[in-house]
Order: sequence, then structure tokens, then C-alpha cells
Amino acid sequence: MKRCLPLALVILAAALLPLLLDPRGYWIRVLTFTLLFAAMAQAWNIVGGLANQTSLGHAAFFGIGAYTSTVLLLKFGISPWLGMLAGGALGGVAALVIAIPTMRLQGHYFALATLAFGEVMRVIANVWTSLTGGPGGLSVPFVPPSFAAYSFKLLRPHAYIALVALIVVTVIFEIIRRGAMGYRLRAIKENAPAAEVIGIDTTKVKLQAAVISGILTAMLGTLYAQIAVFFDPDTVFGIASISIRIALIAIIGGVGTAAGPILGAFFIIPLEEIMNAWLSSRAAGLSQLVFGVILIAVILWRPRGFITVIDALRARLSRTVKP
Amino acid sequence: MTLLQAILDGLLIGGVYAVISIGLTLVYGVMGIVNFAQAEFLTIGMFVAWFAWAFLGLDPVLAAPLSFAVVFAIGWLVQGQLIARVLKAPSVAQIFLTVGLLIVIENGSLLLFGSQFRSVTTSYQTMSLSLGPLFISVPYLIAFAMSLACGVALWWFMRASWFGRAMRATAQNPSAAQLMGIDTDLMYKIAFALGVGLTAFGGAVILPYVTVFPGVGGQFVVLMFTVVVLGGLGSIAGAVVGGLTVGVIQALSSLFFPIQLQNLVLFIVFILVLAVRPQGLIGAHR
Repeated sequence: MKRCLPLALVILAAALLPLLLDPRGYWIRVLTFTLLFAAMAQAWNIVGGLANQTSLGHAAFFGIGAYTSTVLLLKFGISPWLGMLAGGALGGVAALVIAIPTMRLQGHYFALATLAFGEVMRVIANVWTSLTGGPGGLSVPFVPPSFAAYSFKLLRPHAYIALVALIVVTVIFEIIRRGAMGYRLRAIKENAPAAEVIGIDTTKVKLQAAVISGILTAMLGTLYAQIAVFFDPDTVFGIASISIRIALIAIIGGVGTAAGPILGAFFIIPLEEIMNAWLSSRAAGLSQLVFGVILIAVILWRPRGFITVIDALRARLSRTVKP
Repeated sequence: MTLLQAILDGLLIGGVYAVISIGLTLVYGVMGIVNFAQAEFLTIGMFVAWFAWAFLGLDPVLAAPLSFAVVFAIGWLVQGQLIARVLKAPSVAQIFLTVGLLIVIENGSLLLFGSQFRSVTTSYQTMSLSLGPLFISVPYLIAFAMSLACGVALWWFMRASWFGRAMRATAQNPSAAQLMGIDTDLMYKIAFALGVGLTAFGGAVILPYVTVFPGVGGQFVVLMFTVVVLGGLGSIAGAVVGGLTVGVIQALSSLFFPIQLQNLVLFIVFILVLAVRPQGLIGAHR
């Protein structure tokens, strides 16, 4: 219960923030993307944190979600809410397709294989012009604002939907982490042969985790499409823009914990936005350069993420409270 | 005949792929770290060679040792100051440290050199030799020969020199190596500096037929990973086989597929190899 308190405070703060920010302003957009990326990093955390499989290809699922709902809306006028379900289903299938051949891989090998899978999807999206519009990208068509059509005049509803998504994904993550599946995944992470010996079907558990993570990430892709309104293959299937960023958020925050991706997202996304706003007009590449330097510094300082700072603080506090 | 020509071109290009990828496999073999920023050192090597050509009038092929030396020094610092600190950290920290390095180098070169494309002009750029019905492009041939020389030198270094043996000992068992009086930190520095230096060397020798810009390394990332995974991560001989194979796959797929799909073939080969034979095609272990 004590562990949930800071989390509840963060959620409460996030619930009030959209009301305080100018609904037409810049910062509500930053907040919306922060919440969305926190949710994505949390979905990644199921595979990357619990199963300890560092995926660098989650853009594959994300892009599938963005394209599925938008193509369904464009070609058949289907509401993005239903498109999100279809995207989630396709994302789950894609996760299964890539998980089966890469299941046995670990560490760097798994990272490399998933990286290549993300690139395969990006190339396909660029080439399959009749469906995706190719490198020119897709615009989400304008429909009269209504909740059923997932179309709003202002960003405020988008911020709340992103917040709900973050809460849902976090709850799913916690249920998995605390449940039997979480124990199985941790057993596999610590010692796969031993887990096999005590009767855990390691392949099945890893596949389940991968598919759940893929479904959630694809559904979040639909959210992104509706907020961004325009996207192209290089943004939604991008290595740096999506795959690495998602993993980075979870890692900077603290892998395998529910608070980690949220901490990471509230650090990285605003930081990037602030630096883009301040530095990108000065010289090309400067803001990304500073970003890279900060990233290196954070990893050298806290290789296990910001969560360790909080743990250390808590340890110090409890030491002073109980003499 | 076009098939033979494609295979020949593929082998010549593949020789260079081998040299630029050996560094990646060397660093993994010795330290167990996959350097995601490896391809960025190719960019640096190309820039060094380009400036040597533009301001000193040095042919890129002759500037290759200079590229090697400059990047060797950078690599020495990077290993000592950054990589050494995460050798015992979880693999995610290692991956993302090198990703951070990638972002810094790519944007640093954008900041320093701007986004324009730069190329060199050499007397032999468009020349080719004819071998019966086949043609051998002279820049490809020179790049291949330089890569071959570099590969032989590395092979000698690893096999015959004391440093090479000490490095292999470090790779096999760092604590035993330390007990034998080997300074493993020094070995790590040499391995990393040598690894990125070789990649920079490869960058210089391809300059006659590849234009340089800050994102050029990005085009080689998946290619380099495919090369080392084909040969088995950590195996130097494997990287040579992998390099030649990737060169031939690329040249052949250009015969059958449109240009946009060429990389797709490479990616799929890459995933399949990882899935079926993660230890690499020739399965050599370090």
C-alpha cells in the first residue's frame, strides 16, 4: 500500500494537470505525449522488464496499430475505437510471428533480432504504397467531433484518454507482475533451465508476455494516430523515434517496476520537448546532441534507472525514522 | 554472365563489409558488449579521410591509416571513460550507453560539418578492368585490396603478437588473464580502439564510391550486424565469411528486386540466421 501512494499521487496530479493547462497550448500536447509514451514504455516493460527480453522492435506493433485504425477509417469509415481493437489483434499476431523465431534468443541477440523486425515493417510500410500511402504518409480524415468517432476539437480529451490508457496498461502490468505469470517470468529471467525443470512451459509464458505487450502497444498506436493526425512510416516504425525511445524510457526510469516507465516518460519527453524548443533554432543537431549527452550521463550515474534514486531516498528516510 | 558479374561485385564489396564489421565482433568477443554506435565510427573515419583529401590533397585510400589513428585515439578515450564503467552493469545499460554514443556522434557531426553530402574525386573513380567478359571496378578492387591487407595485419596481430595472445586470453577468462599478469583494462582499451579504428579504416577506403554525410553510418548499422551475426558474434574469421556473404546477397538481390526491397532481403536473412543458427553460420566460438 505504501508503494502505491506515490503512484496514486502521480495519477492524481496527471488527472488535474490537463485542467490547468491551456487547452489550445503547447504544454497539454507535451503532457498527452508524455502519458502516451509512459503507457507504451509500460507495455514494453512486460517483455523488457518482467521477461528481461530487451526488445528494440516495438515500433513494429505501434506502427501496425496506427496504420490499421487509420486505413480502416479512410477506406471503410470505421470508428477508430473499433480500429483500435483490429489493430490490437494484428499487433498480437505480429508479436507472435516475431516471438516464435526469437524466443530462444537472449540479451543482445534478442535486441538485434527485434531491431531488424521493426525495420522490416518500416520497409514494408514504405513500399506497400496502395495500402499505406508509402513514404508520403497518411492523414487521419477529419470527422465531426464526437466521442464515438474518437474525434475532438481540443487536446484535453486526448490527454484524458492517454491517462486512462496509462492506468489500464499499468494495472495490467501489475496484475501480471504479482500473479503466477509474473513469478514464472521472473523464474525464467533468473534461470531458464531451472524454470523448465520445475515445470514451467517457458516458451508458452514468453509467448504470452510478448503477445500481451504487442496487443497493448498496437492499441496505443491508434491513440497516437488520432492525436498526431498525420504520420508516415519513418515516424511510427522508426528505430530512434519509437523503438529505442520506448525502451529508453523504461530503462531510464527503472526496468521491471511499474513506476519506472512513468518516471522515465516524465523525464525524457518533456526534456526532449524543452530542448527542441530552446536549441533547435540555434543549430541543427544541438538539441539531440545534448539529449545524447544527458542519456549517457544518466546511464553512467544510475545504470538501473531513476527508481534506484527513490529507493535510496526511501532507505535513508526509513533509517532516520527508525533509529 | 550478369549473375557472375553480380557475385564478383558482391565479393569485392563484401571484403570491405568484413573489415568494417570486424571491429564489432572483436569488441563483443573480448568484452561481451554490442556496440550500437560502431557504424558512427565509420562516419568519423570517412570525415577524417574527406578532410585529408580536401585540405591535404591526400587520396582517401592513403588517408585510411590516418582515419584509423584518429579513431583509435577516440576509441581509447571512449573505452577508458565510458564503456569501462558499464562492463559489469546490466546489458540494457550497456546497450543504451552505446545508443547514447550513437546519438552524440551523429548529431555532433551534424553540428560540426552540416548536413551536406561530400564526396571525393579520384583519377580511378570510374575506371574498370576487364577480365574476359567481366568487369572489375577499380575503386572496388582497391577498397578490397586495402581491406584484405588490413585483415591480414589483424590476423597476424591476434595470432602472433603478445598483445593479440593477451587479448584472446582476456576474452577467454578475464580473471585468469589478470592472474597471469595481463592488464585486462589495457586489453579492453586496445580491443575497443582497434575495433572502431578498423571500422574507420573501412570508411576511408570506401570514400571513393560512397558519399559522406552525418547519417551515413546509419545506413550500415543493420548491414554490420547482419555480417557479424552471420559469422557468429565474437568470431573474426566469421566476420570475413559474413562480410563476403552479405556482399553477394546484396549484389544478387539487386538483380531480382527493386532497390527499396534490397534491405528487406538483408533483414530477413538476418532474422532467419538469428532464429535458426544464432551461433553463426560457421559456428566458431570465441
